[in-house]
Amino acid sequence: MGAHISIPMYQRAVPQRYRLVGQRCLKCGKVNFPPKAVCKYCNAGFEFEEVTLSGRGTVYSYTIIAGGGAPPEFAEQAHCQGSYPVVVVELEEGPRVIAQLVDPPPAGITIGMPVRAVFRKIYEEEGVIRYGFKFRPA
Amino acid sequence: MEGVAIIGAGQTRYGDFPTKGVKELFAEAYLEMLQSVDRGLDPQMIQAAYIGCLSAGSGFQLGQLAPLLMGHVGLPHVNAVRVENACASGGFALYNAACAVASGKFDLVLAAGVEKMRDISSSKGRYWLGVSGDTEYERLAGSTFAGIYALMATRYMHEYGLKREHLSMVAVKNHRNAAANPKAQFRKAITLEQAMNGVPVAYPFNIWDCSPTTDGAAVVLLCNARRARDFTSRPVYLRGFGAASDYLAIHDRSSITRLNATRKAAAEAYKQAGIGPRDIDFAEVHDCFTIAEILAYADLGFCEEGRAHYLLEEGITQLDGKLPVNASGGLKAKGHPIGATGCGMAYEIFRQLRGEAAEPVRQIKNARFALSHNVGGSGGTAAVFIYQRGDE
Amino acid sequence: MSISVVSYGVYLPFLRLGREEYVNALGRCSADIKEKTVMDVDEDTMTMAVEAARKAVAGLDLERVGVLTLASTSYPYQEKVMAGTIVEALGLRKNILTGHHGSSTLAGTEAFLSAAGLLVGSGEKYALVIVSDAPVAGASAEMEHSFGAAACAFVLAADEQGLELEGFYSYVTESLGLRFRPAGEKELRDIGVRTYSSQAYNEMVGAAVKGLLNKLGQKPAGYRHVILHQNDVRTTVALAKKLGFGDEQIQEGLVYGQVGDTGACSPLLGLCRVLEKTVPGDKILVGSYGAGGGSQALSFKLNCRLPGRSESFQVLLEDKKYISYTHYLKLKRSI
Repeated sequence: MGAHISIPMYQRAVPQRYRLVGQRCLKCGKVNFPPKAVCKYCNAGFEFEEVTLSGRGTVYSYTIIAGGGAPPEFAEQAHCQGSYPVVVVELEEGPRVIAQLVDPPPAGITIGMPVRAVFRKIYEEEGVIRYGFKFRPA
Repeated sequence: MEGVAIIGAGQTRYGDFPTKGVKELFAEAYLEMLQSVDRGLDPQMIQAAYIGCLSAGSGFQLGQLAPLLMGHVGLPHVNAVRVENACASGGFALYNAACAVASGKFDLVLAAGVEKMRDISSSKGRYWLGVSGDTEYERLAGSTFAGIYALMATRYMHEYGLKREHLSMVAVKNHRNAAANPKAQFRKAITLEQAMNGVPVAYPFNIWDCSPTTDGAAVVLLCNARRARDFTSRPVYLRGFGAASDYLAIHDRSSITRLNATRKAAAEAYKQAGIGPRDIDFAEVHDCFTIAEILAYADLGFCEEGRAHYLLEEGITQLDGKLPVNASGGLKAKGHPIGATGCGMAYEIFRQLRGEAAEPVRQIKNARFALSHNVGGSGGTAAVFIYQRGDE
Repeated sequence: MSISVVSYGVYLPFLRLGREEYVNALGRCSADIKEKTVMDVDEDTMTMAVEAARKAVAGLDLERVGVLTLASTSYPYQEKVMAGTIVEALGLRKNILTGHHGSSTLAGTEAFLSAAGLLVGSGEKYALVIVSDAPVAGASAEMEHSFGAAACAFVLAADEQGLELEGFYSYVTESLGLRFRPAGEKELRDIGVRTYSSQAYNEMVGAAVKGLLNKLGQKPAGYRHVILHQNDVRTTVALAKKLGFGDEQIQEGLVYGQVGDTGACSPLLGLCRVLEKTVPGDKILVGSYGAGGGSQALSFKLNCRLPGRSESFQVLLEDKKYISYTHYLKLKRSI
């Protein structure tokens, strides 16, 4: 089956995926991540400056995807890990972002738990490794 | 603006039909719809058709599904279009059809939905169902569609003290209702214990928290309200219809314990109908996952935010409660043929308000106003409709 | 011009496989390890490289990094500019001189020395050296038992105080049949003749170390620590002793027992560990080894304390989760 996200499309998002490059709205000052054409906070600003986010944040919500239900691109990961957690993280600069959590604590994930971004393989398709951020307990 | 009435409705049984494709499913629902128009109708009078379908773009027909289906039922030259808003495709087909009639441009417009989901393997199904959310971030986080609603559920539990049992209470209630619905996919009641101990899918969900994949079609015929009685003695009026969107990715939303698209669509529908949530006698709401029904209670104004689980505890939304919700069994147990779901809700309400619920045990008595609520994906879109019994 | 290490970073994967897992599954473990590091399903030598490098460059003016060299015997691609991934992940300057080293475990010190050379030649201020490795052999190969995974990164500076590179010495000769991988194959091979193997190691590492000591007019006693490439503990310790070093000089740099054979990382990982125990004035000798074969010996002197690390080597060793041999085979894609 073909890629949902083409390689050129992934390439265009490399600064976001590899090192969390967001944008600060020059009108309201808030940080958008992932980037928008118009600021999602003031719905007016369309000029931004680049900011690299720290990758630090807290768990806003979480789930644990059972292996059998994983999307096909993640089937190999599910095969190795059985199940894996997906979290929404509230970054310290404000925006929230969805990603996987690696090395979850044995006692379980909790909302509010501090995490930091790490660099991992997201999945592989067409022989090309798609790298990006995941989170790890801080 | 012209008034809008439903004068006919049909729906296939929902389920797994290896011998029927989209054309056969659509035709079955269409012919039942024609029969329900009790004063008769020349089908050639139908001027336009809006047909909801998701997989037409993903698995079967690349484009122009609507003319394919219309040609199959003898209406090859009707102004026909496919509508796609993921799980709300049917709802948006109905919304667009209602707007077309309300505008005065057309008097007779078909709103329909069809989905054929059981022809493909579950892994292929997961492949294309995943597209209903945000692909760039949600999907690439390895999340499934269930995972996105699960994130909402976890947060809801954290903020409002919702318990695992509450989720299961939705499943138990809807399965009980579906057991009495001959058009439902799962006609089997389940116990709370069963519902709480299913195979894990995405914490906190197990398999009983998730709607199934389903084949099915539903067709409703809308008519200018002034002409409705030419065709039927018992029209059902569409008094209000609202639709709205939200950020596709849940991480972009200000809150994940409500669906803003539903709230905005509901406000529009209530305002147009000139009534409020207290006037609603029963509702069909979008319970693709158990948490979705819980979110809908507050989003539709049936309770305050964070209080939805008390409605379940008090039995208010049971079939014999003050405000029955998903008397049909809902997406959870009646089934969820994605593109058909929004129109299937209208079918259920049309039959209920006409006193024609298929089994007497399921008939809601003395109802005047009903509401249906159809959500696209995890809340990227929503459509809300308010119906009024037509014999007053 | 002097070249010094001014900061460094280490990454160890979270997962560990204990020796007893081999014993339970196969009846024996051919490696004298206590446990070893294992990459998770979503890790490879590039993800480890990025994590180690992020620690090394924390607080550094990235605009002044003009050289980037990488080393690994196990890059995720056989052909591709791997530095591109690093540049984008770290946000480095795109006008950067790069060097990719591989093809043997000598690659680690090769990358180190070529970065130093490029720094001198280019007049740039900082060079980043990243060594990330995870050797691979088939599940049925004896040598596989020891194979771990790790990454370390060093920032080299021109004319700045730190861990100064005082001198180096290289020794290369033909050596057949030891730890090799024919083109197109994924798994390492070895003819498995132990004495032949240790003889080659002793010859080359011994020659490089002795050559360096002669070149610098130094004696083993002048060094606080010596770290030789660790294919196993016994051979390494025996050679170091034969060269005139004592236990107190050898022990601190032995990381093999807790991480396994980390390929090109091996001696440099040991260097990162001893740096925590080093005070200004201390000298350190590092000897690498690559089968096929060759060795490079590097002499360092600490001129001033390096920036404090957020996590000590010991913390990294203790931040772990043990997995079963079955889980390990899944991660190796063997089952």
